Formats: sequence, C-alpha cells, structure tokens
Amino acid sequence: MRNSSEQSHVRGWPGPLVAVAILVAALTLAACGDNGGSGGGSEAPVAKGGKPTGEVTISNWPGYIDPGANGTVAEFEKAYGLDVKYIEDINDNLQFFGKLQPLLASGNSGGRSLFVVTDWLAKQMFDLGYLERLNHADLKTVFNNISPQLRNDPADPGRQFSIPWQGGLTGIWVITSSEGNQIHSMRDLFDPKYKGKVDLLTEMRDTVPLVMQMQGADPKNFTKADWEKAIDFLKKETDNGQIRRYTGNEYTEDLTSGNIVAALGWSGDASLIGRKDVEWRSPTEGCDTFFDQMVIPVGAPNTAAAYAFMNFAYRPEVQADIADFVNYVTPVAGVKPILEKKDPAVANNPLVFPPPSLLAPCSADPNPPGSAEDQQAITEKFQDLITG
Amino acid sequence: MTIRRRFIPYWLLAPGALWLLLFFVIPMGFMAEQALESGSLFTGGFTFSWEWSNFPDSLSGNSEQIVRSFYYAGAATLLALLISYPLAYAIAQQSGRWRLLLLFAVIAPFFTTYLIRTIAWKTILYDSGPVVGVFQTLHLIPQDGRLLATSTAVIAGLTYNFLPFMILPIYASIERLDLRLIEAAKDLYASSTQAFLRVTLPMTAPGIVAGVLLTFIPAFGDYVNATILGGTHQAMIGNKIQSLFLVERNYPEAAALSFLMMALILVMVVVYIRVAGTEAFMGEEEEAKT
Repeated sequence: MRNSSEQSHVRGWPGPLVAVAILVAALTLAACGDNGGSGGGSEAPVAKGGKPTGEVTISNWPGYIDPGANGTVAEFEKAYGLDVKYIEDINDNLQFFGKLQPLLASGNSGGRSLFVVTDWLAKQMFDLGYLERLNHADLKTVFNNISPQLRNDPADPGRQFSIPWQGGLTGIWVITSSEGNQIHSMRDLFDPKYKGKVDLLTEMRDTVPLVMQMQGADPKNFTKADWEKAIDFLKKETDNGQIRRYTGNEYTEDLTSGNIVAALGWSGDASLIGRKDVEWRSPTEGCDTFFDQMVIPVGAPNTAAAYAFMNFAYRPEVQADIADFVNYVTPVAGVKPILEKKDPAVANNPLVFPPPSLLAPCSADPNPPGSAEDQQAITEKFQDLITG
Repeated sequence: MTIRRRFIPYWLLAPGALWLLLFFVIPMGFMAEQALESGSLFTGGFTFSWEWSNFPDSLSGNSEQIVRSFYYAGAATLLALLISYPLAYAIAQQSGRWRLLLLFAVIAPFFTTYLIRTIAWKTILYDSGPVVGVFQTLHLIPQDGRLLATSTAVIAGLTYNFLPFMILPIYASIERLDLRLIEAAKDLYASSTQAFLRVTLPMTAPGIVAGVLLTFIPAFGDYVNATILGGTHQAMIGNKIQSLFLVERNYPEAAALSFLMMALILVMVVVYIRVAGTEAFMGEEEEAKT
C-alpha cells in the first residue's frame, strides 16, 4: 500500500509545470508559422508546358461542363490519354478562396492543376502571388480562336494569368407560372407583395452593383457612397423579411421546389433548375456581366495537362458541345455557325450569343473602389448583412 | 518501489497525452497566436502584435449571434430532453428483444451522414409540402407562411440531429434504476407522481446531466443547420466564425471569437455542474455506497 506522502509526491509535481511547458512550446512553435502571402504577381513562375501525360485534377463550378460518359471531360481524356479528376467544388468565389488560401500561401495547390474563378478573384489571387503565369507559346489554339474582344482584358493586360472559360449575365430568374412573372426590374423584386419569396446572391459583386444601378448610380463610376447606400438599402429589405435567403448556387433548389418566385441568378443555370416554367430576365435598370477564368495555381502538378485542357476547350467543335450543354456565353469565335447546324435553338438563344442590345445596359462586375482597406471594409459590411 | 514502476502511470498516459498534444494543444497554440495578430491578407499579411483588442472587439461585434446560438441550443436541448426522457423510460420498460429493436430504431437514422439528414429536412419542410400544409391548416403558421428559412426549422433540425446524444445517456441511467426503491417509496405511501419526482428523477439525474451537456455543447457551435434550414436572420456563432475565416479572411477576429466561445462554454458547463451538484454527476459513487 502506498503511503500518502509518496502518493502526493507522484501526483503533485508534474501537473502544472508540464502544462505550462506545453503551452510555451506550443506558442513558440506557432510563432514560427508562416502567415503572410508571397510576392506579387509579376514575379510568379511561368507554368511549364510539354507533353501532357498522367493524371490531372480540375476544379470548376457545377453545371459548367458535361461530365457524362460522352461529355467533354471524357473526350478530353480520350484525346490526350489522360486521367482527369474533374471536381465541381466551387460554389462561391470567396468560400473557395478561403478554402485554398492557406495552401496557396505556402505554394501548394491542393493537387489542382487548374481551376475556374471569376475574373475579379483571379486578379486578386494573381496580385497575392497565388497563380502561375501562362506561356502563350503553349496556348496556340487558345489565341487562334479567342473572341477578338476578349483577347485583352483590363484586369489582366496581355492575358498573363487567365483564360476565359465561360461568361454570363447576372439577372433575375422568375417562375413564369407564379406571381413572379410580373417582375421585370430590380425595383419589382423589392415589392412587398413578394415578401419572403425572393433570394439574392451572396456574391457581393453581383448583388450590390445591380442594386446600385437600381438606385441610379453610374455603372462606369461607382463610388464608395454608392456602395454603402446600396448595402444600407439591402439591410433594410433583409430586416423586414423581404429577402428569404442569400445563396450561392442554392437559389436553383429554392426555384425548383417553388419556395420562391424569383431570384437573382446567373443566365446559364437553366440546367440546374428542375422545372421548365422559369425564365431569365435582364433587369430593366441594367444587368451585370462576368467572365469566369481558367487559372493555374502555384505548385500545380502537371501544368502541361492544364495547358492541354485550355487548348482543347478552345477548339470550336468542343466549345460548341460545351455551349450546348452549359448555355453560357462562349469566349471562342466561330462557334455559332457550328451550333446553327447542330442545335439551332441554342444558336439563336440570346443568352448564349447575346446581341449588342442585350449587352449594352450591362456592366462588368466591379470591385469596390479605393484601397485594399476600403474594399475590405465594404466586404465586411456586406458580410455582416448576409450573416444576419 | 523501483524508479521504473513509479513511472508506469506516465507511460500509460503517454499515447493519450501525445494525441492531445498534437491535435489539441499545438493547434490551440496556433490559434492563440493568430488571435493576437493584426493586419489583413491583402495589405501585407498578418503580424503578431499582442493585439488583445481582438477579444472584446469580436465579442461586441457578434453579440447578436452569440445570444441567438445560446437561445437555439438551449431550446433544442430542452425539446430534446422533453422528447427523450419519456422515450427512454418507455424503452427501458420493454423486455429484451423489443428493447434492442427500439434502441436500434433510435440509432438507425444516424448511420446516414449528418449533412444528408439535415438536407432531408429541407425536402420535408419545403413550402408547398405536407408538413407546412398541416401547420397551415392548424393555423400554427399563417396561410402564406413557411417553415424553412425560419428559427423554427433551425431549432427543429438541431433537436433532431442531437436526439440520440440525449436519449442514450438518459436511457443508460434509467436502466440502472433499482426498481425496489420505487416499490419502497410506494410502501411509504408515495403516489406515482411523488415516487417519480422524489425517487426516479433524482436517481436518473446523472443521465440527464450527461445528455444535456452532450447536446448543448455541440449544438451551440453548430453551423450546418443554420446554413441549410435557416434564412437571413438565423446565423449562429458557428456561421459567423466560418464567415470570418473563409469569406472575410479576418483570421485574428475569428480565432479570438473561437477562444471566447470555448471559454464561455467552459464557464457554463462548470456552473451547470456546480448547480446540478457533483454528486449527481458522479452518481455511480452514490449508488455504490447505498
């Protein structure tokens, strides 16, 4: 039997001392951790070309390609003899960025060779040093076939880091067989008779510019005051229950089950909505255009395969398949004649080949004005709004 | 006693301590360091600067979500308790085979992933569905009312998802009840109600305490139910932390908030155990003595 002094000797000394030692060790280890981003974009490495072989992982938004057995991904695999892991795990730009940021900050791409993000995020990622630069010599098909107006991009002069994947328009989806059929403008969306039956997007650069245009701001020159006024308006409408939810792609579920009568949404999402009596409309005050971009992250494995995918997607006949399935705006010239023979309904769809009249009142999704701190302040104000 | 034998308890503890060190203490150290940083991702990264103001700032900026989480988790725990106790009691009354079957029936839905179960609730509660229809007929909600994207749906989702954590501990302690004590109470002229209140309930208190803790603590930090079943005003503190980390990329505030939540829950648990009485928590010792 132990006597009590030996017992307390065994129990007494280690406890608090060890705990303090562990905590100190932990803090020291932690302080050695890497935190900031790496250098800016122009020092980014150039992605290497070469003969594509082996495996490649591509991340994209849902509904942006036909992943089926006879779809574009399968064709690409057969054409180059590659093993493609195509994951549709991008639902919202910032959420995807948040997921990847710690990896990218340490030069790791999380296994992905290529992913597709909206143009403004591509620029931010490049400025933070998270993307590799593209070698145009390895992208001959792309630059032979790209639409003339997309050859250069104000956000990416000379196309250093991004190649357009698909573009689209942000506007209003309505269920035509419901009272939402009377909605034609942003102002209509906020009519109290639709209280609780309207969804907006969590994507700040889609939702807020549309509201600013509704309030009469100049799309060529949104000021900080315009942004704040629009967010204050949205706060009022959210607080009084006009808005049911702020969503990423999930507005398509609410439309399918009839929980809402209208939602802000993207023009090509018809395939994600499980009902036929829906229609996309450009708000009368003006719509929003965006182009999602293919980018190669730092530390990407098998960049040769990434280049191959970009070139493959820019073949007109492949792009015709993609446009047929996805119903978004294609960046490749010469696709319309192919589709006129294959699927005239898509060829004549103004959402896939928008006529200038549809595009005229639209503006490209802008960043909030000012310095990085100003942008962060606006982002936080909007986030406070959508996280109740 | 030889030196080696004196250290045997430590060797036995070593694997568990190593696990705790690697997967709890060191990550906590990282988070503590992050909570004291300042700066932002786009303006040069974060720097360690003993920024203690992160703590009160994060508390004041998110007080609405904290109170709301307390309310939702509390409501879900209470509802789970009211549902679980009679259910556990009924199961304990059954004989062997039925008992096993009923217990399996309680656990079986939880072989499905948490996320899928919560998404299934979205399908059950959609606006033109049968559940909403019944509620509208009974005038529990207005004619054009809804259940999804409301607090009701979130609390219902939380209650449902944490039900087995409440049922099983309560069942375990009801099953251990010595029925002779109830017989003795009846012999001493207690009515059924008195026997329940003065014998059964106190003796099953350990199960209740365990169940309440196992339900309230995870429910408080939950973010899945609010995302899937909630709307614009149902965000809980878990959602806010997620938004701070993944969208606003304000890592210091998110880390500070996480620490504060941990401290808050720790305080609540300690107070609760004091109030419920440590004897109730260590109930087995009491029973062994009698």
